[in-house]
Amino acid sequence: MRFLAVVAVLSGSSCSGRGDRQPSETAYQSVDTVPMLIMQIQKCSRLYTTEYKVHKIVTHEDVVKLQGALLKQSIDIKLPVGDRKVAIPIDATLKAYIDFSNFSEKNIERHGQKITILLPDPKVELTSSKVNQQEIRSFVGFVRSGFTDEEMTRYERQGREAIIQSIPRLGIVDMARESAARVLVPMVQQMGYREEDITVAYRKEFKPFDVSKFLEIVGNGK
Amino acid sequence: MENKRLNLQLIVKALVLVVIIIVLWWLLFTEKDNHVGLEVNDSIGVTPEQIQSIRDVGEWEFLSISDEELVDTVRKGLFTDDHLVRIYYGTLRLGVDLRKTKKGWIKTQGDTVVVTLPKVGLLDKDFIDEARTKAFYESGKWTARDREALYRKARRRMLAHALTPQNLQSAEDNADVQFRRMMKAMGYNNITVTFEK
Repeated sequence: MRFLAVVAVLSGSSCSGRGDRQPSETAYQSVDTVPMLIMQIQKCSRLYTTEYKVHKIVTHEDVVKLQGALLKQSIDIKLPVGDRKVAIPIDATLKAYIDFSNFSEKNIERHGQKITILLPDPKVELTSSKVNQQEIRSFVGFVRSGFTDEEMTRYERQGREAIIQSIPRLGIVDMARESAARVLVPMVQQMGYREEDITVAYRKEFKPFDVSKFLEIVGNGK
Repeated sequence: MENKRLNLQLIVKALVLVVIIIVLWWLLFTEKDNHVGLEVNDSIGVTPEQIQSIRDVGEWEFLSISDEELVDTVRKGLFTDDHLVRIYYGTLRLGVDLRKTKKGWIKTQGDTVVVTLPKVGLLDKDFIDEARTKAFYESGKWTARDREALYRKARRRMLAHALTPQNLQSAEDNADVQFRRMMKAMGYNNITVTFEK
C-alpha cells in the first residue's frame, strides 16, 4: 500500500486539546482517494506531573433476538442461533499536566522573601493505550460468524471512551496538583528561595457552565 | 367426482394462503405499532477500571506531533490474497525529562539566571493510542500475532516520520523560548538557556 496523501500542520500555539487547535494546513501530494497520513505538529509548554496506568477488560456479549410488537404485544424471543462473547484487555496511560503556555508575570506574586506561583488547574489526557492482542478471548456459537476487525475496534473504542469517562472518579487532578508542587518547589529553591517561602496555588479557570452554576447559587441565596 | 374434490381442496388451500398473506401484510405494514426484526446489541458491558500504578513525573513537553498511519499486511494465497488494513493514531511528545536534570541546573546571581536543561527527546515510548484504531479493510482470517506485527509497523513508521532532527530542533527552540519567558516572569533579566549534549 502506498502512501497517498501527506498533510503536515505546523502551529505556534499551545498544543492543548483538539478543540483549541488552529492549524494551518499544507497538502503536498495526492495519489489516491484515501488520505494515508495526517501529521499535526504543535509547539506547546506542558508540564506532565502525574501518570496513571489503568487496566480495563472490555466485554461484549451479543445475542440474536427477534424483537418487536404485534397486536400491541411486545415480542422478545432469543433465537437459538448461538451467542458470541469477547473480552478485550486494554492498558491505558493517563497523564495530568499543567499548561504553561500562558505563564507570565501575572502568575507570580512576591511579598518580601515569599513567592506564590499561581497555576491553572491541571488537565488530564489519555496519552497512550495498548490492546493486549494475545490475551483477547472470544467465544462464538457454532452457526455464528467470528468477530470482524471492525467490530473489535468498535468495542475497543467504546472501552477507551469508558476509561476517559472514568477520569473524574480516579482523583488524578488532586494528585496532579500535589505532584506539580513536588516538581516546581525544588526548581524554585534552586533560584534561591527557601522551601517554606514557596507557595504553589491554583487558579480556577471558570467555564460558562461553572459561571451559570455560580449565578444559580447566588440567586438561591437571595 | 374425485377431480372435483381435488379442485376444491386446492381452492381452499390457495384461499387460506391468501388470507395468511393478507393478515401478515396487514399486521406488519398497515398497523404502525406492529414491527418485528432481528436485533443484536452493539454495546460493551459495564466493567471497572483498575488503577495499576500511580507515579510522579516531571516531563516538560515542548512539541507535540499527532500522527495517524494507515498500515496494511498482505498474505498471498493460491487464488486470492488476504488483506488487513488498519489506521493507527499516536501522539509523540518531545521535551525534557526534569528527572534527568543535574544538580545546580538552575544557577542565579542577581538578575542573571543560567538554566541547563537535559537533552530534548521523546518523553514517552508508548505513544500509540491503539484503542482508537480504526479497521479499514479485512479479508481472510488474522491472528493476534498479525495485529501485534501491524502495531509494531505503525510504531516504526511514526517514529521515522516524527522523530526527525528538524522536529527535535524545533522542540529545543521552543524549550528555549518557554524557559526564557518563565524566567522573565520570575524576575530575571539576563537569561541563558543551554542544553546538555
